[in-house]
Amino acid sequence: MNRLSAYLPTPLVITDSVRELPGVFTFAFAPEGGFAFSPGQFNMLYVHGVGEVPISISGDPAEPQRLIHTIRAVGTVTRALERLDAGDWVGVRGPYGSAWPLSEVRGRDVWFVAGGLGLAPLRPAILHVLAHRDEYGAVNILCGARSPETLLYRDELTRWRGRFDCRVQVIVDSARRDWYGPVGVVTQLLSHDTFGPNDAVLACGPEVMLRFLVRELARRGLPESAVWVSLERSMKCGVGLCGHCQLAGTFLCKNGPVYRFDEVAAWLRTREL
Amino acid sequence: MEDLASIIRAHPFCAGLPEEHIALLVGCTRNLHFRRGEFLMREGQYEDRLYLIRRGQVALESQGRGAEVVCLETLGPDDVLGVSCITPHAAHLDCRATESVVALAIDNQCLTRKMQEDPRLGYMIAMRLLDLTYQRLARHRLQSLDVYK
Repeated sequence: MNRLSAYLPTPLVITDSVRELPGVFTFAFAPEGGFAFSPGQFNMLYVHGVGEVPISISGDPAEPQRLIHTIRAVGTVTRALERLDAGDWVGVRGPYGSAWPLSEVRGRDVWFVAGGLGLAPLRPAILHVLAHRDEYGAVNILCGARSPETLLYRDELTRWRGRFDCRVQVIVDSARRDWYGPVGVVTQLLSHDTFGPNDAVLACGPEVMLRFLVRELARRGLPESAVWVSLERSMKCGVGLCGHCQLAGTFLCKNGPVYRFDEVAAWLRTREL
Repeated sequence: MEDLASIIRAHPFCAGLPEEHIALLVGCTRNLHFRRGEFLMREGQYEDRLYLIRRGQVALESQGRGAEVVCLETLGPDDVLGVSCITPHAAHLDCRATESVVALAIDNQCLTRKMQEDPRLGYMIAMRLLDLTYQRLARHRLQSLDVYK
């Protein structure tokens, strides 16, 4: 199905552009012949004359005709992307990297834990699980954000919350008095839950949050081998050649970005890596 | 109707306490209800209760810039409110029920007296409060990193 090259950017026209939050935007593309990917994978997006950045795929894996990327403007390339709009083109190559273990966690209770923009790489996995609801146990979606105003995919979270077959909880770092939800860190959403061998956690967010999450899960009896995380490092080639994204013995672009936590735990706790 | 001892025993803060200690706590504890909007504690006031929240949500609030009230954290079922008040300190935050709250209110003077009289109870309660304090400190450290910025 994919006609995109792994080595050469294919120019794709932005068919839809949505400003999600200040500095956060979503682009949709309609690649000719569709674009198959596995939830958790990423593409390299190229702005002509500026550079390339790795961006997670945020679309629905069941809708390959619509390629979706949610991007935060933080660097030169992403700021250049932010200046683009529907009708402009972006070079795309991919998909790259490992995927969320959706087959491996089939039949288990699945916990999606997202911090900030971490919901974007988790979204395809959530959509897959919700579309194959009978193949999974209980589905929990826990989201942490800086404030109620910075919640990503707010409409979609509301829609998921309205379903009777999954539990969605949101917590923010701080809030004004008109917020009636919980305030604190995302691990507080776990406080009333117990974990067993049938649970699996898929998490994405700032690395410090992931380490904190794993520690809290361990306190509740969940081993690191039941937690998968999506990591971020500076990437250049996307195919495991340049070494920019090396984390000890692994290249994030090729072996990651999704890892079972126990496989990378020691490296993540090493400050120099 | 559930008796107070079984309600106390069911709260995670008291999980695993021997029966004689539960019996000691019964003498210091009341089951209280708060309506939405009611304050469990007010900043600057001396509080003499440790609350074991059973149901509902409590917002820990402070006045931010100007007159804006900011919620710094919420506590819910199974949480403990008033950890800092076990020693005679004035509350440093407003604690407001954002929904109906049911909580076990332990009289601090009564509790500390029994902790002094029974060092085993004192040790167990102190260790649990220390653990809660550490957990809360760790959460606030993470929050202060502003990781989602």
